[in-house]
Amino acid sequence: MTKLPLNEQEVQSPPTADRKRIGVIITFAVILTLLGLLAWGLKKAQAGPLDNGLAPDFTITDFDGRTATLSELRGQVVVINFWASWCPPCREEAAYLEETWRKYEDKGVVFIGVDYVDTEKEALAYIAEFDITYLNGPDIGTRISQAYNIQGVPETFFVAKNGELRGVHIGPMKSPQLDEKIEELLAEQYP
Amino acid sequence: MIADIGLITLTIAFIFTVYATFASAYGGWRGRWDLVESARNASLLAFPFLTVSVIVIVYSLYVLDFSLAYVYDVSSQAMSPFLRMAALWGGQQGSILFWAWMMAGFVAAVLLRKWERDREMMPYFIATAMLTTAFFVGVVLFITNPFMRLWHIEGAAELTQALFQPANSMPYYPEDGGGLNPLLRHFGMIGHPPTTYLGFTGFVIPFSFAIAALITGQSRGDEWIRTTRRWTLVAWIFLSIGLILGGRWAYDVLGWGGFWGWDPVENAMLMPWLTGTAFLHSVMMTEKRGMMKRWNMVLIILTYSLALFGTFITRTGVISSVHAFTKSALGPAFFAFIGLTFIGSVTILYLRWDTLKSEHTLESFISRESAFVLQNMLFLAITFVVFWGTIFPLISELVTGIKITVGPPYFQKATGPLFFVLVILMGIAPLLAWRKQAVRTFGKAIWIPFIASLGIAGIWGYTHRMHPASILGLWLVTFSLSTTLAEFWKGVQARHATRGENPFTAFINLIGRNHRRYGGYIIHLSVVLIALGFIGDANFKLETQGTVSSGESLTIGDYQLQFEQLRAYPGSDGREIIEAVTTLSQDGEVIRTLNPRRDYFTVQQQPVTVPGVYSTPGKDVYVLLVGWDDSGQSATFKIYVNSFINWVWIGGLMMIVGTIIAAWNTPGQREATYVLKPGALTSHPLLQES
Repeated sequence: MTKLPLNEQEVQSPPTADRKRIGVIITFAVILTLLGLLAWGLKKAQAGPLDNGLAPDFTITDFDGRTATLSELRGQVVVINFWASWCPPCREEAAYLEETWRKYEDKGVVFIGVDYVDTEKEALAYIAEFDITYLNGPDIGTRISQAYNIQGVPETFFVAKNGELRGVHIGPMKSPQLDEKIEELLAEQYP
Repeated sequence: MIADIGLITLTIAFIFTVYATFASAYGGWRGRWDLVESARNASLLAFPFLTVSVIVIVYSLYVLDFSLAYVYDVSSQAMSPFLRMAALWGGQQGSILFWAWMMAGFVAAVLLRKWERDREMMPYFIATAMLTTAFFVGVVLFITNPFMRLWHIEGAAELTQALFQPANSMPYYPEDGGGLNPLLRHFGMIGHPPTTYLGFTGFVIPFSFAIAALITGQSRGDEWIRTTRRWTLVAWIFLSIGLILGGRWAYDVLGWGGFWGWDPVENAMLMPWLTGTAFLHSVMMTEKRGMMKRWNMVLIILTYSLALFGTFITRTGVISSVHAFTKSALGPAFFAFIGLTFIGSVTILYLRWDTLKSEHTLESFISRESAFVLQNMLFLAITFVVFWGTIFPLISELVTGIKITVGPPYFQKATGPLFFVLVILMGIAPLLAWRKQAVRTFGKAIWIPFIASLGIAGIWGYTHRMHPASILGLWLVTFSLSTTLAEFWKGVQARHATRGENPFTAFINLIGRNHRRYGGYIIHLSVVLIALGFIGDANFKLETQGTVSSGESLTIGDYQLQFEQLRAYPGSDGREIIEAVTTLSQDGEVIRTLNPRRDYFTVQQQPVTVPGVYSTPGKDVYVLLVGWDDSGQSATFKIYVNSFINWVWIGGLMMIVGTIIAAWNTPGQREATYVLKPGALTSHPLLQES
């Protein structure tokens, strides 16, 4: 008689215990996966902009309809500037950027302006205001900004002749920061 | 310096919260009631100390003490005194202080009110609630401190933020601050953020009760559930108000003609609201039938976790959103905290799982119980759909390397049918009996509302010849509305027949006699009205855009908008205003002048689009000034005709009224609606007390 409850337990408990165990494993797996996903997202959000390795490739179409693809610019030093017409600090560096572009235009340097989250009318007014002549285009769907993981505007990335990133400048640039960087990259050997 | 006082009280509050956490947990474990009492006092004191810190920041914002980095960031001379004070929650440092302060306030309120009744659970309630509060106070103190000052270090190009004077530095006093983001300079700033925060922080109370009930084993009984229900209602109504005010603000300021955009932050608010709503319903199953105990625990933990999750993804920039205007060192600390909360609470739930057995099983598929189960499933399904859409950019980037953001169409298509069934269920569930419902009597109860709603929707469909989805939507609304109104009608009829009361007195007495039930029905009615607003937005919205010269008109539906002229003038708050003067007519008859405008905040270089709106109960004409030519001779307008949109706000007000009624204690109601279980008479703490 005393054995009966024990037997009952033996008979009944394995399936429920199993089910519970599976439930627990699944629950914790889901929680840990979610936490892992969040950790990864957080790491990316905190990582800041890319500043080394091969520069992510992109093709940009400028406001006049011309296109440029980064990977086709090997052998030249590329300066990628992220900006927006609504961004006051961008105005501080706009004249300096254009001036430096004109200085290096014929020396194997390419400037690309990437207009981040902007309206075309305001962007064109900004370009006209500073008489900007280098290639400038909107970042459709913020694809380029995401690839470079920018944290804000302005940010300027430097791409060496071999297509590798050689650093990023956050915030407006002042003379002679840009000249120095370009000279340094121009001095690199490229087969 | 007055700011130092705020820093000192903040530090003291932090010490109190940490002490309370450990003293109460240890006291509960060892049965040391003196320690628990002491922890309770420390918890109660943390609130006034935090209050002083909050007052100091608000005062500094008001008098523009720009030596504080936070004041320099969010306040400016151009801002009105009222906006300067609201800037408390306009930036990260201030808003987390505000958050911690409200959480401490909630905990203090519970400790003042419920100490005697839930004595056994209190040590662990204090430990859980104070651990959370200590975390947020700690974040304010160590990570995003609003009392940081600006210093100029000799030779440095940029200013330094520090609490205490760094070596070789001079204090720096800027002449003016940057001020609030222009989008935040709106009347909505006074209501939406505080109510949202009250909603979010309020859920710490039910969560802490649930954890305490699990640890002490009180979760077997129902006492904790009843204590918790009212606190959940408090948090829930604040979250509801926050959602509605947020929608109204977006409608007035963001200028896309809608009120709900499925932005990650909106979703982050919606998810705990959905699970919280599910909990408020399933709690009735536990109270009346002793069922769904595990489910309730899961829902409370889920609601609180979703509130934390929402705060996390938006405050740390993990998922980008229009609201994610802040990125900081907050991330890792917050991550550790939510990891601890998720894993800790699920582990405790697992250890106590077997004690949470249901006392009854489902007896019939047509019963109040099964309606509750279905309703809970629907709420959870919607929550999952929203959750999936919210974290999808993260998942897609992990898997494919490309961040894909899912837009409103996904959310509308995936949640629409679920909401549809939910609103039908809301109409019929209150008619179902507990345990088992006879099909015949049920049919009798719904046939009149059913036929009536079919008729109204049919007539509407015939006269308007709209899309079939709109007719279906209108049927849904009329059906649910009429079944709910029928409940009121039946109650009034019964009182009139048995007591001879006139209909008005009968109506008042009906609600007065059972606050919970009729408060709940009023909330149901409000949901139907809000649903009407969403249906109007989805199916009846008209939209047009065009450029017109002075004297020309744009036509939309039976409205004409004539552009008269453009004018520019300086506004308050440091803005330049460009305003269009337009005349709105309907079928050729002039209704009124509308002035859609664009405000340029010169310091921030940011435009804000302010719509011109003609509002009626049936529809809004919503006009945006999109662009103009420099001579001012022509302008481009975007016009929306938004049908039924005002019912969202009306429904929102009604929801507040209904919740207040439902939360109000009905005299003598407890005995009337609470079904005692066998054996409960001897073990029930309430009865032992009395």
